[in-house]
Amino acid sequence: MFDGILQGFQVAFSWEAIMFVFLGVLLGTIIGMIPGLGPISAIAIMIPITYGMDPTIALVMMAGVYYGSMYGGSTSSILLNAPGVAGTVAASFDGYPMAQQGKAGKALAISAIASFVGGTVSVILLMLFAPMLASVAILFGPPEYFALMLLGLTAIASLSEGSTIKALISAVLGFMIVTIGIDSQTGTSRFTFGSVNLLDGIDFLIIALGVFALAEVCFLILNRKQKMKGLSNIGSLKLSKQDIKEMKGPLTRQSFLGFILGVLPGAGATISSFVAYISEKKLAKNPDEFGKGSIKGLTGPETANNAATSGAFVPLLSLGIPGSGTTAVMLGAFLVLGVQPGPLLMTENPTVFWGVIASMYIGNIFLLILNLPLIPYFVKILKVPRPLLISLVIVSSLVGVYAVSFSTFDLYLLVIFGILGYLMRIFAFPAAPFILAFILGGMMEQALRQSLTISGGSWSIFYTSPLTMFLFIIMIIALVVPAWRDRIRRKKEEAKVKKY
Amino acid sequence: MLKRIILILILPLFLIAGCSMPVQSGSINEQGQWVPDRSIEIIAPAAAGGGWDTTARMLARTIDEEGLADQSFGVVNKPGGGGAVAWSYIHKRNDPHNIFISSPPLHFVYLNGQSPFGYEDFTPIANLIADYGAFAVREDAEWNSLEDLFTDMREDPESITVVGASSPGSMDHIQFMMFADKAGVDITKIRYISDQDSGGMTSVLNGSVDVISTGVMDAADQARAGKLKILGITAPERLEGDEYLSTLPTAKEQGIDAEFIVWRGMFGPPDMTEEQLAYYEDIYKEVSESDAFAEVRDMYGWDEQFMGSDEFREFLDEQSDDLENILIELGFIEEDEDENIGQ
Repeated sequence: MFDGILQGFQVAFSWEAIMFVFLGVLLGTIIGMIPGLGPISAIAIMIPITYGMDPTIALVMMAGVYYGSMYGGSTSSILLNAPGVAGTVAASFDGYPMAQQGKAGKALAISAIASFVGGTVSVILLMLFAPMLASVAILFGPPEYFALMLLGLTAIASLSEGSTIKALISAVLGFMIVTIGIDSQTGTSRFTFGSVNLLDGIDFLIIALGVFALAEVCFLILNRKQKMKGLSNIGSLKLSKQDIKEMKGPLTRQSFLGFILGVLPGAGATISSFVAYISEKKLAKNPDEFGKGSIKGLTGPETANNAATSGAFVPLLSLGIPGSGTTAVMLGAFLVLGVQPGPLLMTENPTVFWGVIASMYIGNIFLLILNLPLIPYFVKILKVPRPLLISLVIVSSLVGVYAVSFSTFDLYLLVIFGILGYLMRIFAFPAAPFILAFILGGMMEQALRQSLTISGGSWSIFYTSPLTMFLFIIMIIALVVPAWRDRIRRKKEEAKVKKY
Repeated sequence: MLKRIILILILPLFLIAGCSMPVQSGSINEQGQWVPDRSIEIIAPAAAGGGWDTTARMLARTIDEEGLADQSFGVVNKPGGGGAVAWSYIHKRNDPHNIFISSPPLHFVYLNGQSPFGYEDFTPIANLIADYGAFAVREDAEWNSLEDLFTDMREDPESITVVGASSPGSMDHIQFMMFADKAGVDITKIRYISDQDSGGMTSVLNGSVDVISTGVMDAADQARAGKLKILGITAPERLEGDEYLSTLPTAKEQGIDAEFIVWRGMFGPPDMTEEQLAYYEDIYKEVSESDAFAEVRDMYGWDEQFMGSDEFREFLDEQSDDLENILIELGFIEEDEDENIGQ
């Protein structure tokens, strides 16, 4: 194995590889930064270009595009509230408020550092444990996934500000929308109204761009008089000692947690970023700051989604199992280049296996030195006159959706979800539970029904596995402890009031 | 105010909806051959990176590099509805410059009522390659052959779980049912689990599910690493070429008289003239016989299986009948309906 690692570094440090890693991360950052375009479109664009290239070099570049676009994706989440990747939705919860408070520079710097730490720590873990982690990746069967998704859903409670009932209504709406399309357990189509265009269900991108980006655009157009404070002032990049101190906790915790969740196929960057957000909120001394521009609330998901990106390479490279839509496209890219990822890759093709991993160190360093000095230029986008910026967001959202499906039908859907998102916003229905339910709902339903098919309809399958039990216990703790803490606090306050 | 928003949001849609190429039909030259008006669009009814896309791109590249056609062949991805979106587009345009690549899902999507168009609504041009399905279990499983497995399943079909990537009524499900049916198992009782996200591979490797129904290549890679045991493949004969692949037993040699060929071929729009069909059929015949495409086949582990238009159509008729019978037996479709089979 050690020979393999050396060989990998040899490949990664050849001038050709370095050049293509640079090219990959650069392209990835740029594509990721355009609202609406994420890693899936970035890699899909690369596939035809890499036909006939040397597989190792092509894959090194492709991997660069993948984590580069994850890096860049948070920029549009933070600056424009337009996440193009599910994994960067959570970054907008605190990143966008920060940018609006005139701290856009700082938010991007935090995001870049968090991404770098998450990315680098997880590559080290990947290199040390990839062969061993293959067995962890298959630890989860349908019942375990169901428990994990249910745990993820407890986030709805922490994502709701104001009315819990409104948050729940919003989540139910998300669940309803995800049921559209062919039901994969029976093969029947649900709520497609006979339209071919709805058979695959509604793409995540349409929902995210509609409910976040277009809704925001509508809001800006209708509230023209209300000035965005942050617009003229983008703030300094510099982080104070206090900021760094706040980042330390989430950086360490989420690098590991994000990586482990990334290893599980199906969980990936999205779930790990949401889990990071909730866990940081639960651990924080001042959870009220979350959602209003908390440093921890931004650092957590940003570290986790990049750590999970490297983690996702474990099942992809060592098992040939793609854990997400993006890694499925990556797997396609591998196959197109004639490389079969799987249990034999490491022994039969060590240059590719270790070359890709080793190149990720270089890629992460490139991303940091590429991103930090460029932040002042990125944030200038906020100084673009508002009418121009708004048109830019609309156009790139439309292009992003069209690039995924090449269907005009999806563009109409995007507009519908934009209007829905705007209505939700004026009536104070939070969008986050909606999108979370949409992301988790589909997988959760499938996992539940798969489990019940396996067990022949018996619910015992959920409490006979120790792993499932463990996840359920965490879930109960996550629900009960904050409520209990609140109660104690309230009692103390009441006692105080009585005293005076 | 609201009007303004709607205007801003809707305006770009008209711009996009407006641009689409006009339908052209080409012309016939003095030798009676069809001459296309513009470049040919090979439509891959799926996103980049999948099987359809890869095959289409490799075919286009071979045509281009070997100079087999005067016009350039470009690949356009049109994903959605498991192919249905692309099929309805091609059917509607009916332009001989649009051809598409397909495989058995063309049958399944149509038979399950998810697309109004089946293979009979298009013009089969030629088949190029073949692939096969495989049934595998975990390395330490109690079954060593398909017969072992089916013996247990005949006794108690509900005791064994099968997983595949496609939804019930589609490829991974039906290929298994075809063989189980021939082996005398009560297929209406088999418990099938669909796992489209991370594939059923994880579930079989960790023991949640007993059997996986998948493609030979996917199973072979795990089997070679000693993680899976392939009980049988759906090919009519043993595979050639690769040393390992030739050790895999077919179902046929285990006494189950069934086969399932995962063909991949080209189709054109519904109303093609003889000249148009001849134009494409000739090009694809040349592609199939070229050394360049032989290399491509080796690289991806595809089997050569060229069929001209007529042969291809006959083959499709036969396969479609077989699949329809299984779907009727499973209760996915009703027997009486011939046209527009609903759900």
